[in-house]
Formats: sequence, structure tokens, C-alpha cells
Amino acid sequence: MRDVTVMSYGEAIREALDDGLTQYPEMILIGEGVPDPKTIFATTQGLREKYGAERVLDMPLAENGMTGICIGAALAGMRPVLVHQRIDFALLSVDQLVNNAAKWRYMFDGQQQVPLVIRVIVGRGWGQGPQHSQSLQAMFAQVPGLKVVMPTTAGDAYHFMLDAIADNNPVLYIEHRWLHHIQGEVDKNSPRTALTGAALLRQGGDITLAAFSHMSIEALKAATVLAKHGVDAEVVDMRCLTPLDVDSVARSISKTGLLLVADCAPETASMAHKLLSELFQSHGQHLRQPPRLIAYPNHPVPTSHFMANHYYPGAEEIAAAVLEMLDKQPLKQIVTMELQSDLAKDLPDRSFAGPF
Amino acid sequence: MTAMNSAGADLKQLYYQMLRIRRVEQAIAERYQQQEMRCPTHLCIGEEAIAVGISAHLTTQDKVFSNHRGHGHYLAKGGDLRRLLAELYGFAEGCCGGRGGSMHLTDLAAGFIASTPIVGGTVPLAGGYAWAEQMKKSGAAQGCASVAGGTTPWMEEVERSRRPEPRTPEATNVVVIFFGDGCFEEGVMHETMNFAALKKLPLLFVCENNQYSVMTPLAERQPERDIYKIAAAHGLQAASGDGNSVEQVYALAQAAVANARTGQGPQFLELHTHRWPEHCGPNEDDELGYRSPGELADWKLRCPLLQTRQALLDKRLSDESELTAMEASLADEIEQAFQWALRGSRPSIDSMGLHLYA
Ligand SMILES: Cc1ncc(C[n+]2csc(CCOP(=O)(O)OP(=O)(O)O)c2C)c(N)n1
Ligand SMILES: [Mg+2]
Repeated sequence: MRDVTVMSYGEAIREALDDGLTQYPEMILIGEGVPDPKTIFATTQGLREKYGAERVLDMPLAENGMTGICIGAALAGMRPVLVHQRIDFALLSVDQLVNNAAKWRYMFDGQQQVPLVIRVIVGRGWGQGPQHSQSLQAMFAQVPGLKVVMPTTAGDAYHFMLDAIADNNPVLYIEHRWLHHIQGEVDKNSPRTALTGAALLRQGGDITLAAFSHMSIEALKAATVLAKHGVDAEVVDMRCLTPLDVDSVARSISKTGLLLVADCAPETASMAHKLLSELFQSHGQHLRQPPRLIAYPNHPVPTSHFMANHYYPGAEEIAAAVLEMLDKQPLKQIVTMELQSDLAKDLPDRSFAGPF
Repeated sequence: MTAMNSAGADLKQLYYQMLRIRRVEQAIAERYQQQEMRCPTHLCIGEEAIAVGISAHLTTQDKVFSNHRGHGHYLAKGGDLRRLLAELYGFAEGCCGGRGGSMHLTDLAAGFIASTPIVGGTVPLAGGYAWAEQMKKSGAAQGCASVAGGTTPWMEEVERSRRPEPRTPEATNVVVIFFGDGCFEEGVMHETMNFAALKKLPLLFVCENNQYSVMTPLAERQPERDIYKIAAAHGLQAASGDGNSVEQVYALAQAAVANARTGQGPQFLELHTHRWPEHCGPNEDDELGYRSPGELADWKLRCPLLQTRQALLDKRLSDESELTAMEASLADEIEQAFQWALRGSRPSIDSMGLHLYA
């Protein structure tokens, strides 16, 4: 039976952590700020009160050491969920993640396992700048042995978190900060995801938009406006990076014959390239014209909003590229106008009160 | 305790520097509400004595590295106020051309090399810089100053033009790294102390212990023991003191900088203080309840500026009218600096990708 509640992405994460702590007595939730008054943008709110300070706890500023400590605890049967408020901070723990967590099961011939979840948040806006807004998903996805997921909807945020907790492998759970406020349906009774598969966010026959994380939201925005002008785009959300569900995109392009990939990372060696490469190798015959790629520029994000506001491509760029591919340039002006918003470009939503 | 106590001009100068930082930070907090300084901003109100007491012993040849809470360190070292403000507004005239914002500052001519916000990120860099200074001094790196020191002929020229100070041949340039009690938990901290002690680097570690990392108190992160004693166990000359007493900081720094300068190896100061505003942003946040009741109020009674002001009056080193004039001239300087910054230009969008490679 369906059991649907509408909640924000951030609330869905909180809900999943809550249910995880109930279902798995061996789960611990740890990270800088987890029990502080702001509770990681309210995603860990009330959990220390409910489950106690032994299972829901803060930690020293020691990302690498604490990751190793969580790996050790996982080897001994715990299920740690370790939170970083920015993915940039997780870079300090790359040694433990890559050299130990990702390889442990393999190195020891499958005799041991590391049931560990690393929750990381990708920053954007309000001058997050070069060291607080990096998009490093492809770098992590490149490491065999790590599972990397980037849920986009509230429903996936819930299920991926719970499934990541249940998983006996290290899972990197990447949240884009600009998804946190977006509402969606969470059906607690829907089947487990096994942390695989893309999601069809919108059906359409004219063109396939395969997008990652926050770019899927931008693709949906573009598709909604394009639909008013007779262009019917299909939006496939690439919510799991390892393995990447190429087949779902292949099915879509076999119908539409046109593909645009929108990634939220610098373009070089991105997941978008991985997707394009696999599609070309096995399904290139479906494409009526070369695919388009929209991604971030290959340089860091500057802090100044005067520059950063032009760093990020979004719905406007996606829509413009779609219209070019469909040879409907005359629609560009009106579509662009309809996509424009009066919200400052460095803010995720109107309720945002800065500065973090 | 120190020569400074009898030298009134020094105490007045220290007060002036602290007051300048306080008024700049307050002006930033006030104008932050206009939502034009659109970057995470960590103010150092309440902690001014540390930056000032340390930097009083540094020349422009000495170098400073800092962290996310860097405005005070930058200003005390002689960093350009106008370019700091322009940086907060994201203008091309900012000290990083707008690329950095509050958490990424630099003023090479002043010897302020860099602040960055990944906790611990600059600690080993300060170690490396000190190592290079040592090698240049010993002749090991003769002729490769621009490589080891990261300086350019242009920088050296600016440095020479800025209050060059006489230096005895034995003395080495000193590098100072400012960091917090939270940073002390990072691995690189200890790796750097070990190497610094091994190589007897001319490096001064300054731990601003304000008891919090964001909103997490020290007791949730570290066992009960003194931070500076760990540095001592690493083989550093280490001491602790009241970070809200500029006279005490000054005295401790005098010895530490002199030791580092004369080849006695790395020095470590743990200075106790307290941040008044929220961790990040322009407001106070005592209502959140993470500080113990009365804690902030107690620390405010121990305000580094109030204490020094009182000492100046008690010792008749200054008087109300002089202090009022000091306020007025600072208000004027700060207003002018904001005016200058606000006349800044938007960095061009095309320039966004520049400077990725040398
Ligand atoms: C590696 C890393 N982890 C976490 C953070 C988030 N963060 C920014 S400042 C800060 C607190 C640092 O505390 P402390 O070193 O005591 O300095 P204070 O803010 O108290 O001056 C934290 C956790 C970060 N920037 N970098
Ligand atoms: Mg601190």
C-alpha cells in the first residue's frame, strides 16, 4: 500500500536517518555539527534527543582520522553515517575512503565489508567560492569499490539514504544544497532501490534530457516551459553514478533520436562524458544528430557573484540548446523570457537568509 | 613585565590597532545587512588582541598565513583595508579580484600571504614557507628566491618600498600561522609541528582558543588537557596566555618571535579568547543556547579593548579627548575605505577563467 507524504528533500533525509536509527541499532550518525543548534541545515534535528548522544554525535575536526575510525567501526559491525557540510571537507578524508574503504572487501577476498555512508553536501551561491562549492562526483565515481549516488527528488533522498544505510559497501551520498528546500512525494512503502537505476522524471517524445542532480531540476524547468511551445522533452535523472544506468537513456533516445546531457560539474572527465561515451559505443545508431553537452566551465567557481552568477548553466541554456537542436531558434526569445526569474541568481530560494 | 608597559606610545598604538579592527568588523556587520557583501563572512570581534599583539613584532618581511576568520590578521599585518572591503563586495579591485571574498585574503606587499577556509589548509603552507626562508637564509637556496619564496621581482620591490627595517645578519624572517582550537584537531597540524620541530623552522604557531568550532564546544571535541602542552611534547617552545590581554599577548609574542628569529626553532602560543558574534555572519547568536549561560556576557566584561582603554586612562597615557579623536579619525578612514570600495568595478565575466595556470 502506498504511504505518501509530501516533504522537502532535507526533511526526507532527516526522516530516513530517523527511520535508519530505528531499524538499525548498529547505526551511528556522526559529523561536525550533527547535534548543534543548526543540525546540518535541520537534517539531523531531534535525532540526538531521540536516540541519545552515543549514537548521534559531533566529532573533532579530523576528517581523515574520523573517516578511518568510522571504517574501523564498520569493520566491527557498526553502520556509521558520517556527514560533511561540504564535499570539499571530505577531500581531507580521501586517503581513508580510497585506500581503505573502497578496497577493503576486495583486498581481503570478500571476507570483510565496510557498511559506511558518507553524506556530503555540494555548496553553491552566496559566495561559496573556490573551496566550498566544488563538484567532485566524477572523481569519486572513478574509484572502484565506492558506490556514488546523487538523489535529486525528495523520494529518492529518502530511499537512497535508507538503502545506503542498509548497504554493506561504502556509499558516497551526494546532496546538492539547492535541492534541500524542494518539496516532493515520499512513499515509504515503495520498493527498495538497491541504489541502482536512473529515474524517468518526465516523459516526452521530442528529445531526451539526461541530467545529474540539481541539473535535473533545471532540465525539468526547461521542459515545462518548452512544453508550452510544443516541444516535448523527456527528462532522465541520472541519480546513481556507479553503476551508471546507460540503458534507460538508450531506451529514451531510441524513441526521441536526440540527446542533451546536462551535468553539474566541470566538463572535463565528467560523468556526462562517461554517459556519452557508453551511448556512442553501444547505441550511437539511435542519434539523428550529435548530442549536446552542458556542464560547468573547467575552472573553479569564483566567489564574486558578479562572476559566479555566470558560471552555472541552467534551464535557459538547456532550453536554448534544445531549440537549436530542433531547429526552432525563433522560439528562443520567448522561452528564455519565460524562464527568467526575479530571484537573485546566487540564491536557491526565497526563504534563504544567508550567509551559509 | 615588558618594556612596553613603560612605553606608553606602544600601548596606545596597540589600542589603536585593535580599535581599528573592531570598528572595521562592526562596519562590515552593519553593512552586511544590505546584502551586497555576498559571501560567508567570519568576524573576529572579541578576539582583536591576538592579531594585534602578535603583529606588533612583525615587519613586512615577516609573513603571515591565516584562516577563515582572517580580517583581523590581515589588517594587523598591514593589509590594505580598501582592497579587503572591495573583495567582500566582489569587485575587481578586491585583494583577490573578487575571486576569494572574505575567506580568501592576500596582500603580498604587506607580507600577508594568504588566508583560506579549509580548516588546517594553510598550516603546512606556513611550515613550507618558513622552511624556504630558512634555506634562503642559510644559503642553501641562494639565487632561487623566486622559486622557494614564491616572490616576484615586483613583490620584492614593493616590499622594499614599504617601511623597510634594519635587520641583523643573524636574524631570519619569521612566519606566523594563525588558527583555531578546532584546527588543532586536524592531522596536518601535528604533521606540521613535527616537521617544524625537526627542522627548527622560524615559525610561530598561534592558536586562538575561543573554545568553539562553529557551535560545538571544546569539551565535545577534545579531552581535558592543554593544547599548548601537546605542542611542547612535539618539541616546540610553547606557552599559553590570556588572549584578551593585549599586553600579555604582546609580551608572549615578543619572546616567541625573538626566539624564532634567532634560530631557536618553532614557537607555539595558545591564547584564550572568545568570539562575540555568530560563527559566520553579522549577528549575535547567544539565543541559540550553545554557549553556557552568562559565558558571552563574562567575556564581554573582559573585552580586550575596554581593558586597554582603561589602562591607558589609569596610567595617564591618554585621555578622553585623545581617544575621541582616535574614534573620529578611524570612522573617517573606514567611511572613506567603504566609499573607495563601493566605487569598485564588476570583474568581467570573461576574466572568470583566467589565472588557472601560471
Ligand atoms: C576541513 C574543514 N572541515 C570543516 C570545515 C567547516 N568549518 C569552517 S570553520 C570551522 C570551525 C573552525 O574552528 P576553529 O578552528 O576553532 O576556528 P574558529 O572558527 O573558532 O575561529 C569549521 C568546522 C572547514 N571549513 N574545513
Ligand atoms: Mg575555535
